[in-house]
Amino acid sequence: MKRLLARLHLTHPGHFVSGLTIWGTWFVAVYGGLSVACAVVPPDPGLGALTSINASLLIVSAITAACLVALSLGCFAAAREHVGRQHFNALVSAWLYAFSAVAVVFVALPIIGVPPCL
Amino acid sequence: MSERKERCTASCIQRAGARQVNPATLLALAAPLALMGCAGDKSILDPAGQVAREVALIWWVMLSFATVVFVSVVSLWLYALLRKHREHTPTQERRIVRYWIVGGGLLLPGLTICALLAFGVPTGKRVLPVPLDNAPVVIEVVGHQWWWEVRYPNAEGEAVVTANQIVMPAGEPVDFHVTAADVIHSFWIPRLGGKIDMLPGRTNRIRLDADAPGRLLAQSAEFSGVGYAHMTFPVEVLPREEFDAWLAARQPEAIEALTATADAATLASFEESCARCHRVAGLSTGDTGPDLSDIGARATLGGGVLTMEEGAIAHWLEHHQTLKPGNKMPPHDDMDAATLEALGSWLETLTP
Amino acid sequence: MTTLNRQATPQDPDHLKGLHDDLQEVWGNPRGIRALTIVNHTTVGLRFMVTGMVFFLIGGILAMLIRTQIAMPDQNFMNPDIYNQVTTMHGTVMMFLFAIPMLEGLAIYMIPKMIGGRDLVCPRLSALGYFCYLFGGTILTFSIVLEMAPNSGWFMYTPLSSSEYSPGLGSDFWLLGITFVEISAVSAGVELVVSILRTRTQGMALHKMPIFAWYILAMALMIVVGFPPLILGSILLELERAVGMPFFDVAGGGDPLLWQHLFWLFGHPEVYIIFLPAAGVVSTLIPVFAGRPLVGYGWVVFAITVMGFISFGLWVHHMFTVGIPQLAQAFFSAASMLVAIPTAIQVFVWLATLWVGKPRFELPMLWIVGFLVIFVCGGLTGVMLALVPFNWQVHDTHFVVAHMHYVLVGGMLFPLMAGLYYWLPLFSGRMPSETIGKWGFWLVFIGFNVTFLIMHWTGLLGMPRRIYTYDTGMGWDIFNLISSIGGFVMSAGFAVVVIDLLLHFRYGKPAKENPWRADTLEWANSLPPSPYNFVSLPKIETRHPLWDDPDLPRTIREGKHRLAVASHGRRELWGSDPLTGKLREVIHLPGNSWWPFCAALALAVVCVSLLIRWYPLAGIAVIVAGVFLLRWSWENGAHPRAAPDARVQEGDPPLHSRTLDGPGLWTMTTTMIANGAFFLSFLFGWFYLWTVSPEWSMPDTSPLSLFAMLAVGLLFAVGCTAMETCVHRLRQRNDLGLRLRLLVAALLGAVASMVLLWLILSADLAITETAHDAVLMVGLVYALFHVSLAALLSLLQALRVGYGYVSAEAPFEPVVVAYFWRYSVLMLWVLVGALAILPRVIGG
Repeated sequence: MKRLLARLHLTHPGHFVSGLTIWGTWFVAVYGGLSVACAVVPPDPGLGALTSINASLLIVSAITAACLVALSLGCFAAAREHVGRQHFNALVSAWLYAFSAVAVVFVALPIIGVPPCL
Repeated sequence: MSERKERCTASCIQRAGARQVNPATLLALAAPLALMGCAGDKSILDPAGQVAREVALIWWVMLSFATVVFVSVVSLWLYALLRKHREHTPTQERRIVRYWIVGGGLLLPGLTICALLAFGVPTGKRVLPVPLDNAPVVIEVVGHQWWWEVRYPNAEGEAVVTANQIVMPAGEPVDFHVTAADVIHSFWIPRLGGKIDMLPGRTNRIRLDADAPGRLLAQSAEFSGVGYAHMTFPVEVLPREEFDAWLAARQPEAIEALTATADAATLASFEESCARCHRVAGLSTGDTGPDLSDIGARATLGGGVLTMEEGAIAHWLEHHQTLKPGNKMPPHDDMDAATLEALGSWLETLTP
Repeated sequence: MTTLNRQATPQDPDHLKGLHDDLQEVWGNPRGIRALTIVNHTTVGLRFMVTGMVFFLIGGILAMLIRTQIAMPDQNFMNPDIYNQVTTMHGTVMMFLFAIPMLEGLAIYMIPKMIGGRDLVCPRLSALGYFCYLFGGTILTFSIVLEMAPNSGWFMYTPLSSSEYSPGLGSDFWLLGITFVEISAVSAGVELVVSILRTRTQGMALHKMPIFAWYILAMALMIVVGFPPLILGSILLELERAVGMPFFDVAGGGDPLLWQHLFWLFGHPEVYIIFLPAAGVVSTLIPVFAGRPLVGYGWVVFAITVMGFISFGLWVHHMFTVGIPQLAQAFFSAASMLVAIPTAIQVFVWLATLWVGKPRFELPMLWIVGFLVIFVCGGLTGVMLALVPFNWQVHDTHFVVAHMHYVLVGGMLFPLMAGLYYWLPLFSGRMPSETIGKWGFWLVFIGFNVTFLIMHWTGLLGMPRRIYTYDTGMGWDIFNLISSIGGFVMSAGFAVVVIDLLLHFRYGKPAKENPWRADTLEWANSLPPSPYNFVSLPKIETRHPLWDDPDLPRTIREGKHRLAVASHGRRELWGSDPLTGKLREVIHLPGNSWWPFCAALALAVVCVSLLIRWYPLAGIAVIVAGVFLLRWSWENGAHPRAAPDARVQEGDPPLHSRTLDGPGLWTMTTTMIANGAFFLSFLFGWFYLWTVSPEWSMPDTSPLSLFAMLAVGLLFAVGCTAMETCVHRLRQRNDLGLRLRLLVAALLGAVASMVLLWLILSADLAITETAHDAVLMVGLVYALFHVSLAALLSLLQALRVGYGYVSAEAPFEPVVVAYFWRYSVLMLWVLVGALAILPRVIGG
């Protein structure tokens, strides 16, 4: 894990955009997946929110959030190790990853209680 | 008008109090605004159904909270601008800055939106047309440029068709299935809740209920061209028995019998000028204009443009292009006033 | 222009004068008719802003017409059709012809001055952008005079805007005019991105940029990604109207909701595209008037980035009532609420800066406080609107109208006014007047709130937007009257502001150096600035150059820093490393030229001839515009007119045309991001219609020959490999056989386009009958355009090798062209997969 994070060059400002890009990809995947699932295999409306669609969306969201948290922690660690420009880059990236993780969790909250296709 | 104001003030306060939502704040905020009048036939703050009531409550809560936030942020800013400058050590400065950014920039909006989401999602869920044990009444509404086709589907036989008015039972959920025939319209009864778009090629569903019998207004809120301002119509909420009776009076046999009173000349001019576009049950099958089978019994003409009274239809036939500019009925310059009057008085007899 | 190394020294006033004369000769602006050839960012930026102001006044007059019509119930001031034209044009003019170009103009003007550059990286592109904007805007506004203006609302929902329900030319004016204006927006976006990343002065690392540059970088990237969906949508809708391809027509298998998706995919980011630069103005001004650096620079960068991204995940909140599943609505609702966080961070960063600073209260600060009051209010109603059930009730009522004006006027216009007053000394060399300015502010501020605060209430009482008349008795009468009165007060305020500005240019008190005691580099210019901005380019390693070195304006003027030479006749600035600001190359820019004007004029002819449906003329004009553009590109790079010789001063890096990583490559990359966004929008349209369009029908057998598609893909891929080899060998400074390889690539590209053309002609697509075939046609034509353009560019490169403009010494251009090939080959294979293979695998 450590080695993987080291290879990602967490002090590069490219990480400013990668966290939210992951968020965006997740968002499109969840929204698109839901739309396609509702068009192709709509579940019985009587099931409420307890459908396989909700379950799979939740799993995807949990994995995405976990990755983002890991990256965020990695960036915080990288920020501690550097000063100046690299510290700045890693710190801003760390907060951006953290925000992206929170954004995934927050946006995914309704999956717990809302029926998918109504 | 003044009576309405009082009622509204009273009801707003009562509502707020009943829900135990910080009544003092709410009262202080709501009273002056409510005095300006929150009633009105299309006011969402004068709810007449469950969904609208919850939204109105949400509004008052959000307004109070927003006012607090607004006043605090603006006063803090003005204070920061005008206060006497104080020297801070860099450490103090860092602490102040962190305090503001974490407190105001992260915690304040973070907690607010969590609360909002917790509030909003359950309210939204209540409008969902989930299957019920007793299937609710279904009313199909089709938006046209610029009138409304309303159908009451019937499992056994032909649907009851009317136009530019909705009659619905009180005190029970009603499912509206809405679509459009030409451009996009939207279906909205402000005092009940909504709204939902009416899209060509798609059918959208919305579940609404009305507390008590009475007259409401509906309105399209999706811009649809020249006649858009007149995309409005009355909604009559009736007790269940009266609603059943109303529906029964429009069953095919009953409604077709109404046409018997017409004289031959009027019928001929109807055949010539109206029948191609308008349906009158048992007489014609035109479907580009509103169904006229029960027009005499409707409260308004032209979708809320004109109140129905004696001679109103003839007046409408003569002046409809000035009353509702751009509507798709051709002007009747070629017909003399007497014919229009005869047509009008005959149509007014179509009262089931 | 004889000696190369005429180095100015402060001890020698003659040399200094000579240096200024040299710079003036190279950079100076011609007068008279030749002023149309000016490409300088200062002039182009001012032109954008002045034109934007004119459109703002037009939009304002339209607003007053609206407020007059609905001031009282049952009024007959305008008939409904005219009223619809007026409301549509008010929204269109304000959004497309005022807000975006105005802010882009400000950015074009300000960015090089702030980052220590002398111009933007593609000056001719700025000029082209300006003329496209001017011509497109004029064509669009002209429709009002003809009483043929678009009348289906500024978001042009289909089917209302289709030829069936809007038979006149109104919608065509909108679609063509706006697309034309958007070319300008995207080109400005592209060059702003590249300029900020690659032309900062020596030493200005990414985290030392002025905060305004971060805002503009985000705005420009958002334009690059956000505008293409609307461009695609407009093209599709215009094709539907003109040719009858049923993209949005249910009966033909299209879907009107696709338009809404494409429009709001653009439309929501647009709001933030407008807000971000305005917030950048606030973040620039507050530290100056607080007399201390912005606290939490990193937090602001964080907030900007978050806003830039999240704003692309909100578009459906404009469509909460169209009946998409509630769970999907909940996603967008939650995402919309998240925007509150970056906004709040900025508001509190500004607060904290004032809190720990020593605020001075001058005229620009008045507008900033006005901004805060209005914007916080608009932001709060925005959070309310993110709540789905509340949104259902107030959607498309005057509540939304009020919210939107609070956000846009508060979030954009007030900071803009603050910025204009703040930077006035730069524009004119004079100080703004305090008294008249204050009158203007208070009239606008009070008028605005009177108009729009009460309008929230009108909306809650159920008044829908865009109705031209209403009955008395709804309880709306008094509120509408108040709104209208407020509207006229606000207009009076703007009249005062305009008069103030006009008087200012004549009677303003001359400004002294750095009049506001600001920290950023634009104040190191002379007031008003010279066309070359800086005599010499300083090394900057701080965020507050003028605070840390108040002597900087003088030393810059006296040529004590680098690149203080123009005797070689080149327009030069630094090309620096995007991250660290280390010097990489000397960028030499093209000078004044007729080509941008001529190309824009040809494009305007295309636009007008499409409008009047005179297609032969349109065809000719397209070819003429293409020839102009290619001729323009011919004079670039190592062409003797662009760079007579490659010598640089001792110690300076090489000219960019002699390297492999010049700004052209970055411009191409950024353009391909825009292009990619366009392509992704197309793919979205294809899959969207395929999965959810109500009447969509997938034919049993695909009309596209799989063999031919694969052949095109393979031929083109081989051509791309040839290009890659060229680049690879150029990297090793080896140009043996360069011309041959380029010719091979061109040939393969040409054959591939022939096959593709045959494929299109032989597929026998029923483009007016089914949306399926219509979408295929658009995809194939898009591919054909790329394949043939790639071939043409390679051919031109081969010619340039022959002329000696491209060689191992000047290896810059094939790298750029190869990038286009790379994009095209990727796009082509995705297209083969999506259009030809996937339908065969999945079926209908």
